[in-house]
Amino acid sequence: MRQTETFSLILCSTSPFTSLPLQPPPTVIWNFSPQPTSTSTYNSAILDCQQKHTTKLDRISPQGRQRICNSQRVVNGRGLGEKHHPPSFRYFISSLRIMAPPTGPRGSTRRSASAPRGSRGGGISKRRATTKTDRDGDVAMDAPLAGGANGNPVRGGVTRGGRGSRSGRDSVTRSTRGSSRIAESIRNYGSDPGRASKANFNRAILKVHGLRDSKAASNPDGGRRGLLDFLQRKAKTVTIGKNVVDGDFVWISVKKDDASDVLRLSGFTYAGAVLTITETDEKMPNPEVERMSQSALELKKNMTAVLAKRYDAEQRLLDLSALGADNTLVGMGTFDSQSTAQKAFQVLMQIVGLQYKRPDEKKEALQAVSLARNDIVDVEQVFTLANALPDLKRLDLSGNNIETLSKMSKWRYRFKHLEELHLTGNPITSQPNYVLELLQWFPSLQNLNGQQVRSMEEVAASLKALEPTPIPQFPSNLRDGNNNIAPQFLQAFFALFDTDRARLAAEFYDDDSMFSLAVIPNSGRNLPWRSYMKFSRNIHNFNSRNPQLLQRLFSGGSQIADLWKALPATRHPSIEQTDQWLVDGHTFSNLADPSGQGESAMGLIIIVNGRFEEADTATNTFGTRTFTRTFVLGPSKPGNPPPQHVYRVISDQMTLHDWTASPPPATPPQLTVESQAPIPTVPIHPIISPIPVPSPPVGALVPDGNMKAQLIQELSKLTGMTLEYSELCLSGAANWNFDLALQAFEEQKPNLPSTAFVSAV
Amino acid sequence: MALSRSDTSIRCSAEAAKVFVDWYYQSINEGRPVAGAYVTNNATYRTAGHPPSDICANGLVVATPEEWDKMLAQQRFIPASASTTAAAASASSRSPPLAVNYDVECYDVHAINPDFRFAAPPALLTDGKAHGSGESNGAGVRMMMMVSVSGTVTFGLDKDAPKQHFSDIFILVPNWDVIAKHGSRSTRRYIVASQTYRAY
Repeated sequence: MRQTETFSLILCSTSPFTSLPLQPPPTVIWNFSPQPTSTSTYNSAILDCQQKHTTKLDRISPQGRQRICNSQRVVNGRGLGEKHHPPSFRYFISSLRIMAPPTGPRGSTRRSASAPRGSRGGGISKRRATTKTDRDGDVAMDAPLAGGANGNPVRGGVTRGGRGSRSGRDSVTRSTRGSSRIAESIRNYGSDPGRASKANFNRAILKVHGLRDSKAASNPDGGRRGLLDFLQRKAKTVTIGKNVVDGDFVWISVKKDDASDVLRLSGFTYAGAVLTITETDEKMPNPEVERMSQSALELKKNMTAVLAKRYDAEQRLLDLSALGADNTLVGMGTFDSQSTAQKAFQVLMQIVGLQYKRPDEKKEALQAVSLARNDIVDVEQVFTLANALPDLKRLDLSGNNIETLSKMSKWRYRFKHLEELHLTGNPITSQPNYVLELLQWFPSLQNLNGQQVRSMEEVAASLKALEPTPIPQFPSNLRDGNNNIAPQFLQAFFALFDTDRARLAAEFYDDDSMFSLAVIPNSGRNLPWRSYMKFSRNIHNFNSRNPQLLQRLFSGGSQIADLWKALPATRHPSIEQTDQWLVDGHTFSNLADPSGQGESAMGLIIIVNGRFEEADTATNTFGTRTFTRTFVLGPSKPGNPPPQHVYRVISDQMTLHDWTASPPPATPPQLTVESQAPIPTVPIHPIISPIPVPSPPVGALVPDGNMKAQLIQELSKLTGMTLEYSELCLSGAANWNFDLALQAFEEQKPNLPSTAFVSAV
Repeated sequence: MALSRSDTSIRCSAEAAKVFVDWYYQSINEGRPVAGAYVTNNATYRTAGHPPSDICANGLVVATPEEWDKMLAQQRFIPASASTTAAAASASSRSPPLAVNYDVECYDVHAINPDFRFAAPPALLTDGKAHGSGESNGAGVRMMMMVSVSGTVTFGLDKDAPKQHFSDIFILVPNWDVIAKHGSRSTRRYIVASQTYRAY
């Protein structure tokens, strides 16, 4: 258990980790600059804000908060609210609302399918205007500092034209809605990259070069729309999906089938420039990131700086304690209201997620989080931690204000791997039974408030208890009426299938025999499926009118032999290698009597789970496949030509699945191919399966009487022990686990008295 | 191609298999019992002297369909969910989703006896003298079918929950009670005479 080793190490050296001094990280692990841009006007604005304004809504009395809220409501009419809003807040408002693409202010940019914001009534032109303002550089930011409370002459003049008269009111409205705007931008910021990263396998990504040099480049949208229209017109039926302008290239996504139509246009001239179109495997640049406004980028940068400052690579600890005292966050207006604080936390978590390409990287680099001293009342406020860092091992919540278990319940059954939790300094610690409850909620919890609360064994048991237990695995179960038909048939069958399929079909198949194969292609990682795909009769994917339903059912020995010829060469292990096969089956009645005399005939169904080596000369590939093959055997027809067996194959279904997770067989079957009467003997083959299998764990499903009787029978058969001894062996330490019982038998075999064995009785 | 495996019986067997497979795995995924769909619990077959359904799960013979239901329920059981205390229960009142999910990825069917007669009502046997000829009343109905199903079974709700491959082989026979009733819309037109299950 690697995890627990890590755990104990950490436990000795750092617990409780809250007391550790805040250290700057020795190395910057965040993938971008840990510092905010030092020279921008923005930063001076932030600094300015920090000095001027330190009040946080969270920290002031409820009455005070009410007063502010009231005043905000009042100011919707006039600009009184300004004095309650620190410049930083205003910065937020003005900048966050500017999220439109940093493209030109006029023209038909709104037609882009992936424009990030929905329109807001008649605000379209207004929005474009503000974009312009933003690009002009710091106008929005300077405004609150320089321009004072009401309106902004620069902005009004430049962008609103004749509507300057409304600008004052506008800015106020904006201010009062500020926190929800922050939330909006934060929310949008957070959700966008996920959407963009979705891969679509039916689509081709093409890069178009040349737009920059065309006359259309001077269009308001950089000529993108025109180019797309041009391509769509020329390629006729093509629909262009997502598209992004990135540097000199326009990236477009089209249906895979349409790609050639568009690629054909390479070399065409568009608005005086020659286009070059190429297909690419690269991922389309993220349009949301590209369109992310300057302010959102600033936000991200700042948040990242906060995270970088608070990350301790050595401890793998993200110290988010006392966020309310963090100057950067305070300066950003993060704590201006409860909801803003929560949303800011969501953004922090989002940014944490972005730092790591793969979940396991994140899991490795971030194992501890401190949220100490954050005035948390309910973990709901910081719920996203559970989504961002589900594999967290250590969590510090000390010094918060969590009163009851219900205030923790949002995290119930989250943090499956949480080993250490600190709640010291929360009212909850005086609650009765809260420890017991938390132990159930967090199955890996070993250390609560510095106290050992559970042993490693107990953790293993509680983790096990979270998962259902698969039905235990037993050896092959072949009830073929004691005439040994099945083993003989299988031995002959697979030997011939590997060497002489024509002869096999002639010997065991007649005109009425059926064969079909089906593949589960997505399970295959080793070998291509091409050779089988065109014959696959997976009804799951067919409707009943599909002609392939008929075409892919092969009937009659000669048709079957023809098909087999087309399949890749195989090599099955010998049927005597019992650990390579799982064979179940039984006899059954009510098949049609081939002689036409009786009412019905007996049949035998045999289900084989196994694997074979494959050599596909057509594709020059070699490997192993797993398969399930089911035979229904019935009596031969009297008139069949020689060589005639007393039985024939009525039906033969093969499913190929290439299952590699835990390959069969799970347990060694006790299939014997001896022609003598099957006397139970101790098998020569290793009894303990060489493959680690999901065998029934200790304390799992305890079988009832019927199961027990069967287990006793099986064990007796395999070991040669008497039923009494078999029962003793199973009911002892093995606790009805067949594998364990076998193991115990192997160990104890020399010590057993001779009366323990059937032969000696 | 012989008449006994007419296109009718091929198409009908495919449709019947689809109905059965859809119903069966939806039922066990939602925790509903399936014992009613076995020959053992069918009065017509029982009185005609048909042996009980042969059920074999991972090499273990299961005596009755009810016991198979019990094994499936036991497999779904999450020990931790049983020890929920009152406080925890009040914190989250919604019942947890079922933790074992069978995802069928593939199945195939053969009509292994297109002229199945056991316990058939006489009305369905008339015109059937020419052993399952395409025109007979019973064509595409009086079928014994072998259905092989494969897929993935997931144990637990986590993304990384353990998975197994499963194969489930059924022998289905007509449910005369439903088939004889003209226009019956019951979906259980075929019932299980044999089931061999393996998951590994």
